[in-house]
Formats: sequence, structure tokens, C-alpha cells
Amino acid sequence: MPILDRPLIVVAAVLYLAAVTGIGVWSLRRTRNARDFWVAGQALGVVVTGIATMAAAFSGFVFVGGPGLTYRIGLSSLFINVSIGFTAGLLGWTVAKRLRLLAEVRDVYTIPDAVLCRYRSRLASGSAAVAVLIGTVGYLGTQLLALGVVMKAALGIESALLAVALGTAVILFYSTAGGMVAGVWTDVLQGSLMLLAAVGVFFYALDAGGGFGEIASSISSSERFGRQFLEPFGKTPVLMPLGFFFVFGIGVLGQPHMLHKFFMLRDPRRLRWLPLVLGGSQGVCLLIWLGLGLAVPALVAQGKLPPLAKPDDAAPLFLLHFAPDLLAGLAVAAILAAIMSTADSFTNLGAAALVRDLPKALGRQVRNELLWGRIATVGVTLAAAVTAYLYDDLIALLGTFSFGTFGAALAPALAVGLNWKRVTAAAATASILTGTVLNLVLELKLIPLPPGALPTAVSLSASFAVLLLVSWWTGGEEIDEDVLAVMEA
Amino acid sequence: MIADRISPLTRRFALVLLALAALATLLGSAWSSPWLLAMGGAVFPVALISLGAPRLRWTLLLLGIVLVGMLAALLLLPDGGPDFGSLPLGTALMLFVLVPVPFILVSWAYAAFFDLRDEDLERLRRMRKS
Repeated sequence: MPILDRPLIVVAAVLYLAAVTGIGVWSLRRTRNARDFWVAGQALGVVVTGIATMAAAFSGFVFVGGPGLTYRIGLSSLFINVSIGFTAGLLGWTVAKRLRLLAEVRDVYTIPDAVLCRYRSRLASGSAAVAVLIGTVGYLGTQLLALGVVMKAALGIESALLAVALGTAVILFYSTAGGMVAGVWTDVLQGSLMLLAAVGVFFYALDAGGGFGEIASSISSSERFGRQFLEPFGKTPVLMPLGFFFVFGIGVLGQPHMLHKFFMLRDPRRLRWLPLVLGGSQGVCLLIWLGLGLAVPALVAQGKLPPLAKPDDAAPLFLLHFAPDLLAGLAVAAILAAIMSTADSFTNLGAAALVRDLPKALGRQVRNELLWGRIATVGVTLAAAVTAYLYDDLIALLGTFSFGTFGAALAPALAVGLNWKRVTAAAATASILTGTVLNLVLELKLIPLPPGALPTAVSLSASFAVLLLVSWWTGGEEIDEDVLAVMEA
Repeated sequence: MIADRISPLTRRFALVLLALAALATLLGSAWSSPWLLAMGGAVFPVALISLGAPRLRWTLLLLGIVLVGMLAALLLLPDGGPDFGSLPLGTALMLFVLVPVPFILVSWAYAAFFDLRDEDLERLRRMRKS
């Protein structure tokens, strides 16, 4: 990433880091027990929950990687986002209400907790916890590496190690001090910054490119991009965009950093508005991807920007060369926010897997969850940071398939299992293991797939198929009365 | 006694649809068949929502038609089809129909038909206390 050497960018980055640190200090006194630490005291309104869910779901990829991907493969990359038309509603109809109501009848703070309640199987919840931990290392590691890159560019820090260390220290401070209280309120700040920057950059990018019509015609008539860039399947094998549509549309049902937020809503009746808030804020935030994804190639085609050596430089180069200082500062703060809001969710989820979920799966319970939760937050974050720094290739690989691991492992057991009583513990366990292992095997290319086919499309489908088959095979089993009441409410 | 929210027939239909969708996306990806992947991917959310939603027949039918219809149109239009405004018709459909129409349909339906009665919530809270 090029050095973003403008005073206002440095000021915006420093102000942003100071603000999240301040929220960490504020939330320290509001975090008194494990319920506060894991689920923010279950005291959030629906707008806060929706924006925090959006902020956790959208990492720096939306602001930097997404426009870069569009520059590389054209508008077919937007199939990653097309499914947001229905994902918020899908989450609402299939899992949000059931998960939140489970937290009404039991002390359910995590997704493996929910799996344990639904299936009464420590094997199933332990498998879910392992899947969460694997995905967490990948997701958190890539976010910390990306944070280092952006901190280096924004603050002009020369040492990559120092940049990663500084970013990690800020996240660690507020995540350890305030747990999810800090996580959610920083998410709200981060989400608001992301929304503001997305709208600002979108309109500024369209204006810089000469308006929508001019942008499209510049791209279409250029030799470098051509009309193919604008076509729905563009330069990619057709299986790839269709795979994006399926994987990001259905895999969303297994993303613990999003689902976890539903436990935090104060009044379950307010869930009524969640899809509108979540889907609406996601739609607004994605404007930045669309705007930069169209404007940067157009500016290159018009000769106003040199062709990019690295596609991921699309967003930073636009901010450096075309955005006014204030907007560039806001956008850099938003990029940091997008990365950190995803990272802080995973520090908490990883710690919960170690302190709460895995011990429960082994039939044990940690006594002082708040203390051990804080210690585990430090441990998980440092482990991910060190692994990311030492084995960046491995972490990049893990990061690319974390979404898929979560989706393939958890989506069927939750989305079908919370709505169909016949799903058994054996079926859930088989599905979770199939999703986790098959996704790993396919991502490592141990089984070849046709060109353009996404490994997660196969593992996600297989995981659903296994759940249905084993459920039909093994038949129903007894479900606790309160859980049954939740499923029928 | 807790009553089923969804009729057995609706549930069976949703599960069969889900099984077919899973098979289609699996085979579509593994055998390189865009049509199977597209149709499976379009039916998947409809099947899942019908498992969780008790009273959405028309909305789901409409959602299914939009998703299946739009993905089929994208596959049928060679090179994205003729220009529509500044974009290929297929891209315009993707951006201006495939995203907003399902959002309005599904999120509106959720807000309109969300059903959690106070007595159900009270009953759940009493269960926790007991």
C-alpha cells in the first residue's frame, strides 16, 4: 500500500485510535461479569445491534480488497455482494429469533453454547468450537496483518512489525478491558465511520470519473478493460460468480461474528426491524466497493491514473490522488475501523471458545470466566498476531477460507437444526465435521475441482446434504422442553 | 403441548426443496454445470426461509421467481445482453433488480410478519425461572 502522507490522514488515524482507546477505558467499569464480557450485558437496541453486526461482518476487504478484486476481474466480483438482497432477511427468518430466544431461556452466550442446548451433545458443540477456533485464527490473523499494512501507510511507520504491534495493542487494550461492551460500542463508532466514508467516497468517485455514463463508456471503450469488464460474468469462469452468490448468500448463516451479536439484543421483539437495519446498512456500506470498483478502472482508462501495479492499491491511490484531505482522512479511519471491528469480534469469539466452549465440551467449567476470558483474549490475539507475522502465507490461506469454514461447518446445524425437530445430534456433528474437514481438503486442493468452482460451494452443499441424510436416517430424538418452546415460538 | 408453527406438508415441501437445492449446488460445482449451480443457489434461500417462516407463501413464491428468473436471464443473455443505459442489460438486472427487490421483499416481510407474542415471551421467561 502506498504511503498516505497527508497531515489530515495522520490526524484522522490518530483521532480514531484515541477514540477506540477511550471507549475501552469507558467500558472497563461497565464490564462486571461474564455476561457483560461475552454478550455486552444483553442490553443493546436494534439499531446498535444491526450496525455492530454490519461492522463485524464487513472487514477491510470491502474497502480495499473488494475494489482491487473488481479492478482485476471486473463487475463479476460484485456477485460476492449481490446476495445481500436476501441475507439479512434469511438470517432473520431462520436463526436470529431462535438464537435470541435461546438466550432468554438459558445462559447462551456463544454459538457452541446454542449447539449444546439444541442437541444436548458435547461432541457437536465441541466440534463447533473447534471450527470457530480454526476460523478465528485465520480471520484474526489476516485482519491483524491488514491492520499493520494500513497503520504503516497511514502513520508512515517504517517497521512492519511495529505497525502490526501498535494496531494489535490498541485492539487488545479495549477488547481485554471491556470485552463485548467495548467491542460493540467500538463497532458502532466503526460502523458509523464506514457508512459515512462509503457514501462520501461513492459520490466523489462517480464525480471524479465524470458520472456513471462516462465511467461506463470509458471502461467499455478501453483496450485494457473493454465491455467484458462490465458484463455480469466478465472475464471469470461462470462457476466463480455463481459460486460467490451461493457461498456468500447461504454461508452467512454460519458466521459466528454476526450471529453472536443477536444474543446481545435487549428485547427480542425488536428483532422485527433487524433485517431492515442490517441489510440497509450493508447496502450503503457496499457503495464504496461499487464506486471505487467502477471509478478507478475508468480513471485508468481515461489516462488520469497510471495502470495499477497491484490491484489492491485501487482504494489508497484514489484517496491519495482524487479525494480531498477531509474525505481521505475519514476513509482511512473507516478502513482501520472496518479491520478492527472484525478483529475485535474474533478476539472475543476465540477467547470464548477456549474459556467457555471447549471446557464445556470436555465436561468442565471455568470458574472465573471474566478473568480467564480477559487472559484468553490476550492469548488468542497474541497467538494470531505472532502466527500471522511469522507465517503470513499460511495465515493468508487460512483467512481466505475462514468464511467458508464457518459457513460449511455451522450453517446447516443452525439454520436447519433450529427449525426442524428431526435433526439429531449425530446429524449435526456429522455436518459440522464434514463442513470443516471437506473445506480444508478442498482449499488445500487435495481434491481437484473444475476451473472457477469454489471449494466452499462444494463443502457447504455437502454439509447440508449430510445433515439432511443423517437426520432422515437417524430419526428424531428428544429435545428439552424449553428449547422446543423456543423452536416453536 | 407445543403446537407446530408450520404444517407438516409445508415443512416436507421445504425440506425436499432444500435437499434438491443442496444436490444441485453440489453437482453444479463439482461437475461444472452453471445451470445446476445457479438454480440450486436461487432455490436454497427460498427453501430455508420456508422452513423458518410460517406465513410467507406469496412472498416466497415471488422471491423464488425473482431469484430463479434473474439468474436464468443472466445465463441466457450472451455477453451480458444488449446495452441498457450505460451497462449491459445483465449487469443492470444484477444491480438494479437482483439486489433491491429481494431486500424489499424479504426484509419487509420480516418486519410485517414477525411474530413474537408477549405471552410466548413470558412463557419462555417462566421456563427459565423454573
